[in-house]
Amino acid sequence: MSKWRIGRLFLLMQSLVAKDLKVRYKRSILGFAWFLLKPLFSMVVYYFVFTRILRFGGAIPHFSLFLLTGLLPWNFFSSSLSASTSSLLDNHRLIRSIYFPRMTLPAAEVTANLIHLLLALLVLEILLITFGHYPGLSIILILPALALLTIMTTGIALLLSIGNVFYRDVKQFIEVLLLAWFYASPIIYPLDSIGVDIIQSPRLVQILKFNPISGFMEIMHSIFYAGTWPPLWSWISLSSWSIVFLLAGIAVFRKAEPVVVKEL
Amino acid sequence: MKPGGILMKNVTLDYRLYHDRAVTLRDTMLNFFNRKTRIEHFRALNDVSFNIAPGSSVAVIGSNGAGKSTTLKILAGIYKPTSGTSESGGRIASLLDLGVGFHPDLTGEENLMLNGALLGLDRNEMKKLVPEIVEFAQLERFMDTPVKYYSSGMFMRLGFSLATSVDPDILLIDEVLAVGDVGFQDRCYERICDFQEKGRTIIFVSHDLEAVSRLCRRAIWLHEGSIKMDGSVEDVLSGYIENVQKKHIAEAATPTEWGTREIWFDSVILRNTDGTPSGTFRRGEKIVVDTLIKSRLPSTVDNVVFGFSIHRIDGETVIGTNNLEMNQPLLSFRGSVASRIEIDLSIAEPGTYLLGLALTDPEANKDYHWQEFFYPVTLLEKRKDTPLKLSEAVWIQE
Repeated sequence: MSKWRIGRLFLLMQSLVAKDLKVRYKRSILGFAWFLLKPLFSMVVYYFVFTRILRFGGAIPHFSLFLLTGLLPWNFFSSSLSASTSSLLDNHRLIRSIYFPRMTLPAAEVTANLIHLLLALLVLEILLITFGHYPGLSIILILPALALLTIMTTGIALLLSIGNVFYRDVKQFIEVLLLAWFYASPIIYPLDSIGVDIIQSPRLVQILKFNPISGFMEIMHSIFYAGTWPPLWSWISLSSWSIVFLLAGIAVFRKAEPVVVKEL
Repeated sequence: MKPGGILMKNVTLDYRLYHDRAVTLRDTMLNFFNRKTRIEHFRALNDVSFNIAPGSSVAVIGSNGAGKSTTLKILAGIYKPTSGTSESGGRIASLLDLGVGFHPDLTGEENLMLNGALLGLDRNEMKKLVPEIVEFAQLERFMDTPVKYYSSGMFMRLGFSLATSVDPDILLIDEVLAVGDVGFQDRCYERICDFQEKGRTIIFVSHDLEAVSRLCRRAIWLHEGSIKMDGSVEDVLSGYIENVQKKHIAEAATPTEWGTREIWFDSVILRNTDGTPSGTFRRGEKIVVDTLIKSRLPSTVDNVVFGFSIHRIDGETVIGTNNLEMNQPLLSFRGSVASRIEIDLSIAEPGTYLLGLALTDPEANKDYHWQEFFYPVTLLEKRKDTPLKLSEAVWIQE
């Protein structure tokens, strides 16, 4: 068995991500723009629902920009998880014909989506500045925050990809779970005093802070939308969840890998 | 471990075997509550040990399901042994399934770079190899075409060239040499011979015993997951072939004869359509069974059923019928009678079969004379046109 040094591992990841990006937008006119267009469309939909029908969005200034700030990372999170869930099954012939570190398959899906997110965030920042939401110094914190988000997402992706080999239900279940998870996350509402007004339950707001993605959303809103320093709880939440999911993901993947290869 | 060396020590590998596999969560829950979890283990390899010196070419032979491919997968690092250890030195290239890492939407060149990364090569190494791979696969004109537009032969050729281009210390080959046209196959063999000359280790799994004896000097015979024989290719192959044949003979049907013999087959001659006695029949020819049947019963016997059967040499019944079943006249005679069956077969699978004959009276519940597995008949394809035809020949004396 050939030994996989870190440099070669990096090259493999790079190649898999490049393949993913190339393949995804073959024969598509708008191509790469879809990663921005999808959250933009959902932003428009949510904007009308929550300002014209449910009417709580009015309490938040520039509600559409607030929405977009949360929708972009959510789109990264949900796309990464849906794509990586079937990543081992989709590549079963490859896995059974040559040896390579298989963790790279779900990890590459997450990384490909991360590249989309980075570009989308650039566009978001331009939009925000246009509408007078100037970034503060806190903008530099986006890098560690993204790193932690990627670590957390990869950890969950590893767990899901393994789970789906044993039970195909995982793929169906994750879709429903993501739908519920979306509404349980501070994307269409904030977790501050306005959020308490909307939800009308301070206790529920406190509980929602334990949502693994809440910390990152809070950091996003602080850095991009409000231009302030993110609160401490968001960092504690994000980093603890990241470590938990990454360690669990790697441990489960390592343990299950020899069995999974034969099950595929 | 020296590059090219392989050491397998007491390797055992179990697969989980599912009878009624619970693939959904609901099934698992139901099975769990019913205490009916039916997971069984199938031992694909059982305590397999061998040591291969760098530079040798070793064949792994055995019937289907003997564990040959599993052995290669363990050597390639794809499967981890359930117990025991497998060690190898140097870079391994496996020809287990060609072109698996290729993505249909990527071009030939893009796919080569991606696969290089999967094989663990760095970009510069790969860039240097690409021209050579392309040349060997003879696909220079198609490198910027997505591989989904390749013919299956082109696809396989690219896969083979790629897998063998990395100059491995150990090359694992699993029955993939039937690649492309005859010309390309020859070059594949040439390339494998080059590897041998360069002192690389080759592990070759194949059912093609001729190729095995040509390429390898040592052979390992796996039987139901264990090593049955390990030695020089001549010894192992002759042992293997003998064993396969012995099984055939043991299972083969031996001629048997029984009955009351009140009525019996006095003589039986098989003839072909033009009447010459023969045991070989070509497609489209009738088998004519000429019999003389005698009776020692004092009175005329009526309603004698005359049947025949055709078995494969392993004893499996192919055809069994009689004049009663086919609505043909039954025999009615006293003393002796000449009776003939003309059998017209459509031959799907040429080969040797065994013809049997029977005289019975089912109404009286009597078996007069049975001859089972008695007359071998060889059924052949239609003869091709003779390669030469004489137009004219002239003898002249001057």
